[in-house]
Amino acid sequence: MVSKEQILNTLRMVVDPELGINVVDLGLIYGVEVKNKTIDITMTLTTVGCPLHESMVEAVRHVAQMSDLTKIVDVHLVWDPPWTPERLTPSAKAILGQ
Amino acid sequence: MTQPTTIASSLAPPFSMVGKYFLAAIASFVLLSGLLVFNASELQGHYFQPKLLALTHIATLGWITMVMFGAMYQLIPVVLEVKLFSAKLGELQFWVYLLGILGLVYGFWNFQVGSHFTASAALVMLAILLFVVNVFFTMTKVTNWNLTGFYLLTSLVYLAATAIAGFLLSINLGFPFISRIHLDYLKIHAHLGFIGWVVMVIMGVSLKLIPMFGLSHGFSAMPAKIAYVLVNIGLLGTTVEWLLVGPEWLLRVYIILLVAGIFCFLLQLALIARQRIKKSLDLGMRFSAVAFGYFFLSTMAGVLLVFGDIGDVKTKEALVLAYGSTVLFGFFSSLIVGQMYKIVPFLVWFHTYSDRAGKEPVPMLKDMFNERLGIIQFGLFNLGLIAVILGLFIVSSRLVHAGFILMFISSVIFAVNIGNVFRLRMHNGLQRADS
Repeated sequence: MVSKEQILNTLRMVVDPELGINVVDLGLIYGVEVKNKTIDITMTLTTVGCPLHESMVEAVRHVAQMSDLTKIVDVHLVWDPPWTPERLTPSAKAILGQ
Repeated sequence: MTQPTTIASSLAPPFSMVGKYFLAAIASFVLLSGLLVFNASELQGHYFQPKLLALTHIATLGWITMVMFGAMYQLIPVVLEVKLFSAKLGELQFWVYLLGILGLVYGFWNFQVGSHFTASAALVMLAILLFVVNVFFTMTKVTNWNLTGFYLLTSLVYLAATAIAGFLLSINLGFPFISRIHLDYLKIHAHLGFIGWVVMVIMGVSLKLIPMFGLSHGFSAMPAKIAYVLVNIGLLGTTVEWLLVGPEWLLRVYIILLVAGIFCFLLQLALIARQRIKKSLDLGMRFSAVAFGYFFLSTMAGVLLVFGDIGDVKTKEALVLAYGSTVLFGFFSSLIVGQMYKIVPFLVWFHTYSDRAGKEPVPMLKDMFNERLGIIQFGLFNLGLIAVILGLFIVSSRLVHAGFILMFISSVIFAVNIGNVFRLRMHNGLQRADS
């Protein structure tokens, strides 16, 4: 069975085209739960009304699906808690020139 | 699991509709820059001259407002989370608008201000009202109102007022019916357009986009709220005073409120900039940052014009032209160029690559145009503009001319660079249904 870490690793393939940073390092992925029949992913975006909205959600869903074709992938987009810059990983901060 | 249909189809209007506005705007920008090279001498003395009026309307209608129409059709659905009322109306509006501008600019250029001219002005007004209606009905569906929404809603009122005032002025040029002198009303028309429409939209949209691009979080939006109130009171008051010719001191109070509002907005931008996580300024943000610098300068020049008590007519005329050029090219053009470097790659990416993200390699936005070429364009533009402003001040037509040549080269580079982004869409997107 595919592990949470494996899924997180594959999610690094989904990159924000504006910032050039993947969704995991941006801190957009709040949680990944691998269950018997489903993979539940909870994520956010940096801004409400982000124009990349559906594109990012769909890319995350697709990549997670590719890691295990037998499961149903559910991506939940949440705004609470809102994203803050503290969620950036050190490598993302380095790219942003922090 | 079923694949959703093209992602780009949900809230965003069709690429072909929005793209038309952007392409027509870029063409106007190059045309304007080219005409300025060959007509630099028109930009001296008084501003009320046929060719200068033609150039001003290529700038305001063909370039600035054209791009704002495209950008607002693109952004409003995203920012306010609603579907556009009618994309077809937006398409129809484009053609009516284009036809109207062509007739209007031709009429100004040759100073043929008869019925054809008035008919063209009517077309421009009609197109603008179509836009206002389209966006207004879109906004009736908004459930999540934010400050950006209020700024945009208010800007629609001023836009409609500007268009109607412009139409009345167009009739007055051929068949004078307004008893007061034409220039008094022209002043109202120009300021309703520049501040009520353009600056109001810039304020509202910046509030959303600048934090988004710079990843700014946790700033107070209070200055932007105060700016909204002050700019509106100031602008409405100024307009009423100009219209009714009230006491001079009251007019000055309103202008002070207006200027205070603009400074509040600039303070808001400084707060946003301070909180940004993305420290380095990319090409688009560099143009934008410089644009706001010119905005500050032009506001100061405006204050000087009102309160400076400049007796010398020649100095005042030079200052009016320098003020106008700093607003038009320094602030508006620079900001539009900068934001187009952000918005157009996104637009093309969204319609071409968004449903491939995560499935196959897709380009980053900054890889979709030539950044180094853009930096050369940035240098040429600013060098040219400084030469123009300086040349207008010291009344050196040679310097003004040289400046316009640099700005023209810069506009061509911009057209090529952004044109290549559009070509990515042609290469990659044509086999797919236009989404």
